[in-house]
Amino acid sequence: MMTVTVEAVEGGCVLSPQGRLTVVSTPQLRDEVAARLAAGDRLIIVDLSGTTFVDSSGLGALVSCLKSARQAGGDLRLVAPTEQVSMVLRLTNLDRILKPRASVAAALDD
Amino acid sequence: MTERPGPVVIDVAVEPESIDLVQNAFEAWWTSLGDDSLETRFSFETAIVEIAANVVEHSRRSEADRGRRFTLELSATDDRLRAVFHDNGMPSEIDLSAVSMADLEDEDGRGLALALLSLESLDYRHEDGRNVWTLVCRR
Repeated sequence: MMTVTVEAVEGGCVLSPQGRLTVVSTPQLRDEVAARLAAGDRLIIVDLSGTTFVDSSGLGALVSCLKSARQAGGDLRLVAPTEQVSMVLRLTNLDRILKPRASVAAALDD
Repeated sequence: MTERPGPVVIDVAVEPESIDLVQNAFEAWWTSLGDDSLETRFSFETAIVEIAANVVEHSRRSEADRGRRFTLELSATDDRLRAVFHDNGMPSEIDLSAVSMADLEDEDGRGLALALLSLESLDYRHEDGRNVWTLVCRR
């Protein structure tokens, strides 16, 4: 079970998926990102500090959302991944295009 | 030889929601092991979730597959963790020696590569009409 909380920040929003981001829950994240981009947000910050587990479909959703954000002229930035999430980002080399920031403040500063 | 819990078996429907049940069972089993290595836990858990997702995806190709189930058996020795999946879906044509990591921009194709990277060994065979996946992780 996963829930996503949304908080507005200047130019965009912070999405915080809580729980497991797997094949069951990825549509929820994709839908949320699509809705925020459609509403005019350009900076999508995904705060992973409460995301306990990400599988390959979750990684695929993050790549898809990154591409959508960039196509809209914006960006998607990851923040504070937990240990398992850092591991899968590293093993798949996705930390090269989804380089995590330490905090929401650091993601806003970039 | 240290005391350790016996094998755990779960039997669930072939449907995406079962992946959560598999993960819940894994968490309970892991806790019972009393192993505090997060690296081992996350490697094994990641591989188990990826193979469970693969079983669900490939064993349910049509309405005729409704009602199918799969099992997962988890067991541990002093130096190895083992997970065995059985399902009675269609045989998979996967060649594990040909699996490689997807390109950075790809949105899928990472599951089996991630499982292989997380394990000491991953074996697939079709035996007596069933698919059998065997995952082994060093601890």
